[in-house]
Amino acid sequence: MSGVESLYPFLYSGKSDVAAVLAEVCRSTAEKAEEIIRLRSDVLELYRDRLIDCASAMARSFTAGGRLFSFGNGGSSTDAQALAELFQNPGPDARPLPATALTTDVAVLSALANDVSFDVVFARPLAANGHARDIAVGLSTSGGSSNVLRGFVEATRRGMLTIGLAGYDGGKMAETDTIEYLFVIPSSSVHRIQEAQTTIYHVLWELTQLALSPT
Amino acid sequence: MVDVLTGAQVDQAFARRTEPARALGQDAEAVGRACYDMALRFHRGGKLLCFGNGSAAADAAHIVVEFVHPVIVGKRALPAVSLANDAATMSGIARVAGFENSFAAQLQLQAEPEDIALGISTDGECANVARALIAARGMGLLTLALVGGDGGQIARIKGLDHVLIARSKDPRVVKEIQVTAYHVLWELVHVFFEQPGVLAPKAL
Repeated sequence: MSGVESLYPFLYSGKSDVAAVLAEVCRSTAEKAEEIIRLRSDVLELYRDRLIDCASAMARSFTAGGRLFSFGNGGSSTDAQALAELFQNPGPDARPLPATALTTDVAVLSALANDVSFDVVFARPLAANGHARDIAVGLSTSGGSSNVLRGFVEATRRGMLTIGLAGYDGGKMAETDTIEYLFVIPSSSVHRIQEAQTTIYHVLWELTQLALSPT
Repeated sequence: MVDVLTGAQVDQAFARRTEPARALGQDAEAVGRACYDMALRFHRGGKLLCFGNGSAAADAAHIVVEFVHPVIVGKRALPAVSLANDAATMSGIARVAGFENSFAAQLQLQAEPEDIALGISTDGECANVARALIAARGMGLLTLALVGGDGGQIARIKGLDHVLIARSKDPRVVKEIQVTAYHVLWELVHVFFEQPGVLAPKAL
């Protein structure tokens, strides 16, 4: 039985019509909404204190003149980009902070991938741009992306604050000592992991703003 | 600066997500109908065109990678393109024709009537997203909007096929609800798409 077949057994039992499929799809949508609500609640219990410590450290880095660098592959590359955009362009009521996504420069990415290896596409720009006061945020749903892991090795070598977002059991990201703050989303669904990771970086941003301008 | 943050602030931040996420579950039928219409368009050979600004530009790219490179092994790739990825094109059009035309101009060149236009905007007030959706509607595309807040000017456009409103005023929360929404759209499009018996009557 395929994954989809086990999720939607009625589709494989013979006849199905649009109304039946729609009803099943509606049930599935509501279930997924409840699933992400529960997962966020689990993440909060796991990481309430670590989120505070991590955001405090980020605020210290920005106060020292640091910049944030974010990186990841696939869907996580779009999170890296959204994260950098949020810090730089947070709207009228928040303080803009310097951030760069390492995923957006196709010239640098393709040059490194073509000339050296895809494994170095984040490590090399960090080596070129990173300073000890800076922040490295790497995202990987599996925790196993080798270019993300290499990025953390380089960031650690340069003394940067290192923050990792992973899923499942954290994979290799949970085994390395190059990630100071690691948030592992305890789920086996890539989609729910990404959704909870988005919450993590949004909350880290919000707490960093609060730490920088306490009211 | 040290030790200014409290656990209560973290709790409040997380708590703000719960009701909007539950509201998405309550909009399940609207999500399901959007999936069905998208599946019909893919079945007819249409492609998905995504667009948005800022964080939503990243979402447009994310949606495209979901469809083009499915995370579940064995799912077929479906055609999708983001109109927000190319800074040269975006800024070039913006300079010559104004930022409000940055997506519509690309869409008018690339779209065919069987395609799907998916615009994303956290507050529904993005003029370039609105303009592209209006252009898409005029060309006969299936039109979908993912918006938040009160839906803004995009939700007031007449004749859009599907408008899903994330029920929060916080743009960060809206984005998170939208990420869940498009993950569900992708997965459930495949549920329909893999059922020729469901799609064939209208498609043939």
